[in-house]
Amino acid sequence: MAKAKDALLEPLFNNNPIALQILGICSALAVTNKLSTAFTMSIAVTLVTACSNAAVSAIRNHIPNSIRIIVQMTIIATLVIIVDQMLKAYAYEMSKALSVYVGLIITNCIVMGRAEAYAMKNPVYESFLDGVGNGLGYSLVLLVVGFVRELFGAGKLFGLTILSPTTDGGWYVTNGMMLLAPSAFFLIGFIIWALRTKKPELQEE
Amino acid sequence: MSNDSIVKTFLVAFLLCAVCSVLVCMAALVRIDREVYNKQLEIRKTVLAAAGYDLDGDINAMFTSDFEAKAVDLATGEYTDAVDLATYNENEALEDPALTIESPAGNEAGLLKQVKYAVVYLSKGGDVVLPIRGAGMWGPILGYIAVGPDANTVKGLTFYQHAETPGLGGEIDNPKWKALWPGKQIFDNSGKVAIKVVKNGKYDPNAADAVNTVDGLAGATVTSVKVKGLVAYWFTDNGFGKYLAKLKK
Repeated sequence: MAKAKDALLEPLFNNNPIALQILGICSALAVTNKLSTAFTMSIAVTLVTACSNAAVSAIRNHIPNSIRIIVQMTIIATLVIIVDQMLKAYAYEMSKALSVYVGLIITNCIVMGRAEAYAMKNPVYESFLDGVGNGLGYSLVLLVVGFVRELFGAGKLFGLTILSPTTDGGWYVTNGMMLLAPSAFFLIGFIIWALRTKKPELQEE
Repeated sequence: MSNDSIVKTFLVAFLLCAVCSVLVCMAALVRIDREVYNKQLEIRKTVLAAAGYDLDGDINAMFTSDFEAKAVDLATGEYTDAVDLATYNENEALEDPALTIESPAGNEAGLLKQVKYAVVYLSKGGDVVLPIRGAGMWGPILGYIAVGPDANTVKGLTFYQHAETPGLGGEIDNPKWKALWPGKQIFDNSGKVAIKVVKNGKYDPNAADAVNTVDGLAGATVTSVKVKGLVAYWFTDNGFGKYLAKLKK
């Protein structure tokens, strides 16, 4: 069971897909200006990574080597389309806020990276947990970035006012830069810095 | 059979595609089922919000009891039966060359084409809620504006789609800013479209045209100009000008 636990917990800090492998940055910049979108995106990516890992792992012994990337892409694309369609059906406003970024999970390197690097070689259960773990590692960074950006950019969390902004007659002067994509770059940079300072073994030579 | 044989490769590819396409079709069917409802609800919410309704409560019940939809032929300003309101959707009609005309070149709303027939909503209280659209800073801005029975006083406006920068141009969704609109007059004394949005802080409540003027958004000059353009455009004769003139009589 140690392996299963590792598969689930390692990607949170020790092998975080965003902070260590620097994957999935594009969506981490695009959907983190509000916590609600970051949260939905986190769930979507976790679901897709977990299910695609499990599916790829389940048929890994039957995947012809010559078309293995195509097989993985097909599975991932199918799952992403299902998630996207369900969001459009049952969370219409959220799907509008996320716009193209749900569809772009297909090209999120984390999903494909885990299918190719882990699910192709490991049993279904461990692969599923690895998918959940990597999804959560991604979610963790997204939520931290979303928290900081929404709090300091709009004075809100999940749309609820925390710091009353001057535009509504309050005292807090909102930081407009936090609402623009580059701020996520800085924040992710700080997270990477903090993580590597805390755990020097993560530093590259 | 070896995994890498040609037969197995084709077999796996075929089976995988078959399973995946069934799953995708099922998901799409669920979505299509709900989409009409979702889009309709969004329009209804926007219309209610523009007309100043509180959105707490049953949107559909409030809407059906208080509002009546009618199609307007923009070229004449008359109501028309040319389209079936049960199925007509302006956003879809825009894709149909038979239902659209080219907008005048260089128009202030930044439109290339527009629908011939617009769906307006008449409220019990005599207000009329009109669809407006135009180019924003990053993408189209779509919304509704409610006009009072005098066909001149704005009752409110709300957008249901835009891609303005959150926190800056995106503040066009801010209730505080939207609250600046009710009571503003669309036309001046000579009947020309006079409603405008000025740069933030340039609004003078004592100016002669203050009743036509809305203060712009801080840090969102471009968005303010675009909103001004699209609101003004839809009240000219290219938009609802003729219709409102008839409504006034």
